[in-house]
Amino acid sequence: MTPISRILCTTSLTAALTLGSAAQAEIEFWTMPYGDQIAWKDTIDGLLEGFTAETGIEVTHETVPWGNAFQTYLTIAQGGAAPDCADMYWLHSFSAIGGENYGPLPITEYADRLDLDSFYEGALTDVTYLDEIYGIPWRGDIRAILYRTDAAEEAGLSGPPTTWDETVAAAKAMHVADENGNVDRWGYAFGTSNVVSWLMPLYWQAGGEFMSEDGTTATIDNQAMRDALTFMHDMVHVHRVVDIDSFEKGYEMLPLFVDGQIALIGSAEQSWGKRLDAEYPDAEGTWAMAPSAAGPEDADSFSGAGYFGVLRGTEQVEECVSLLEYLSQNESILALSQGSGNVATKPAVMQSEFWSDRPWKQVVAVALEDAHTSQHAAPSWSAIATSEPGGIIFDLIYNTVVLQEDMDAEIATAQELMQGELDR
Amino acid sequence: MSEKNVFCYLMVAPALVITLILGIYPMIRSMVMSFRSYDLLNQDKNGWVGLDNYRQVMADDRFVQTINQTVVFTFVAIFFVVVIALFLAQVINAEFRGRAVLRTLIFTPWFVPPVVASAIWIWLLNANVSPINHFLLEAGVIERKIRFLTDSDTWGPFSIPMMSIIAVRVWNGLPIAIVFILAGLQSIPKSLYEAADMDGAGTFSKFFHVTLPLLRPVLLVLLALFFMNGFGHFEMNYVMTGGGPRNLTNVLAVWTYQEGFQFLRFDRAAAAGGIVLMMTSVVAVLYIWLQAKDVRK
Repeated sequence: MTPISRILCTTSLTAALTLGSAAQAEIEFWTMPYGDQIAWKDTIDGLLEGFTAETGIEVTHETVPWGNAFQTYLTIAQGGAAPDCADMYWLHSFSAIGGENYGPLPITEYADRLDLDSFYEGALTDVTYLDEIYGIPWRGDIRAILYRTDAAEEAGLSGPPTTWDETVAAAKAMHVADENGNVDRWGYAFGTSNVVSWLMPLYWQAGGEFMSEDGTTATIDNQAMRDALTFMHDMVHVHRVVDIDSFEKGYEMLPLFVDGQIALIGSAEQSWGKRLDAEYPDAEGTWAMAPSAAGPEDADSFSGAGYFGVLRGTEQVEECVSLLEYLSQNESILALSQGSGNVATKPAVMQSEFWSDRPWKQVVAVALEDAHTSQHAAPSWSAIATSEPGGIIFDLIYNTVVLQEDMDAEIATAQELMQGELDR
Repeated sequence: MSEKNVFCYLMVAPALVITLILGIYPMIRSMVMSFRSYDLLNQDKNGWVGLDNYRQVMADDRFVQTINQTVVFTFVAIFFVVVIALFLAQVINAEFRGRAVLRTLIFTPWFVPPVVASAIWIWLLNANVSPINHFLLEAGVIERKIRFLTDSDTWGPFSIPMMSIIAVRVWNGLPIAIVFILAGLQSIPKSLYEAADMDGAGTFSKFFHVTLPLLRPVLLVLLALFFMNGFGHFEMNYVMTGGGPRNLTNVLAVWTYQEGFQFLRFDRAAAAGGIVLMMTSVVAVLYIWLQAKDVRK
């Protein structure tokens, strides 16, 4: 072999080995954006750089806008182009749609590497389906009361309401309207733009559960549902402290709250605390958060969650699990919650300085004690809980609260439709 | 086949291939899906069901209401677009000081994507913060705020939210209609108007006997495009109201999207898509027939 041939052979071999090892140590990772997009990208990039430095595995990060996240993951669950691992939600639906070919991949055999015992027990229900583990719950979305302290003071209130009755009294006291009925300040608003998420905590607070634990039986035709819907109905039509337009699409609570047009939001996202700090610094001193008011049974708060998991079809399962292992560390979870504004999923992280340096953060930590997951063990739950006309729970709320149709008949219809969906 | 023909086919081929792959193939797949059970959550039961999906959607009161509204939305929006565009095209076709400024103002909505326009109008029409409400209240024209996008009172098929969205669709659709009509107006020989003047024709007489007949081919194309686009319109209704309140602003494209992507029933969504296809096909066939009739003449 001539020297030139030897050099060529060596170079080719080295290149092949390098390419081979590079191909093995590269994974694609998708997340949705949270809060300020640049800050979020910086957070993720920082974490991934740390991961690469520690493991040598390169990670390509891509952001999926929330506007088409559902369609993206639906396409993935149908066999569309998928990353190796990703930030996901609606585990039960996408697992059922993808079956054993596409969508989320169970990683139960790697569970002991993920330190799952260090997470909130409730958060783990969002990564468990049919006794299999699908990833690490990295973000929580806990809801709490958000109220205008200036309006409360003006109305002579000593503090936030702690029960449904106190909520009614506080909302009426803070409501301001002129003689023509034009409202300057609504006493109350239920929550975010997702109407279905308003009913959930009220129903739980009244002692209800939407379905049996195994997700096979609908359980909404009961007194708890009547209590929850009656509370909503009365706030709109009897006490007249809720804007009926808030049930329609496009109604933005937070700007109206900041503008002083809403006095109290019953189930506000905790991330609004971060947004108020960052986007409305002038509003400092005019607002506060408080744990959810208690209903007839308890003070459950709506809690959503998302998880990092692995997708079927990847050949980099081991590398993806290494990434999840890295991201499940307390420092990573803290960085993720700092970057996104979402509640951390580990008690140890929620006890950190970051989660106690502002009064609203302390409230969030307390609210977590009453967290009730919004996920249910039924693949069709995402369709049942769709906050659009035609959605079973949405129509139940809209028909009974906005249109004031017969409550018993509507609940019976919803129960029947929901059972049909669970039997799908 | 002559060399010239081969060249022509080669030039058309890329567009044809793209249309086949991105237009015709998905359309055929969707039509096939509309005759099958295709439930994402229960794919074991997927199979041929004949016309069941069509029967199911037609038995849904919300769907029938949605079809009616789609037709009303489309006809009313097109009527106003064409009437206003005919008037404005005449205005900006005339020569006067400030014509360039007026043209720019009229064409501005064209530069605004429908989704962005919807977001802007949501704010303008939000009962609580609407500057329109503020102005009307201050002027003493109204005593209570108008709920532009949320009032569920109806007058026959009409409601305030429906009229509000129609107004926005007219605003957004005007520029393209004006461009078409303006091009048509500029192709009419001035000698015809001079002849009409000599015959003593007035403004209206000239419009109805010279302008309108000579604009017929342009208006036909415009109407065909608008009807086909109108029956499949999605963005503004979805972004501004999502079909609410009480389904009063729902249109077929939004209903189809909700059925497929929210409720995961792609079979029923495909059936709804099939109905949209039938509606647009009627317009297309009518348009081709009228075109052929003109050619025969």
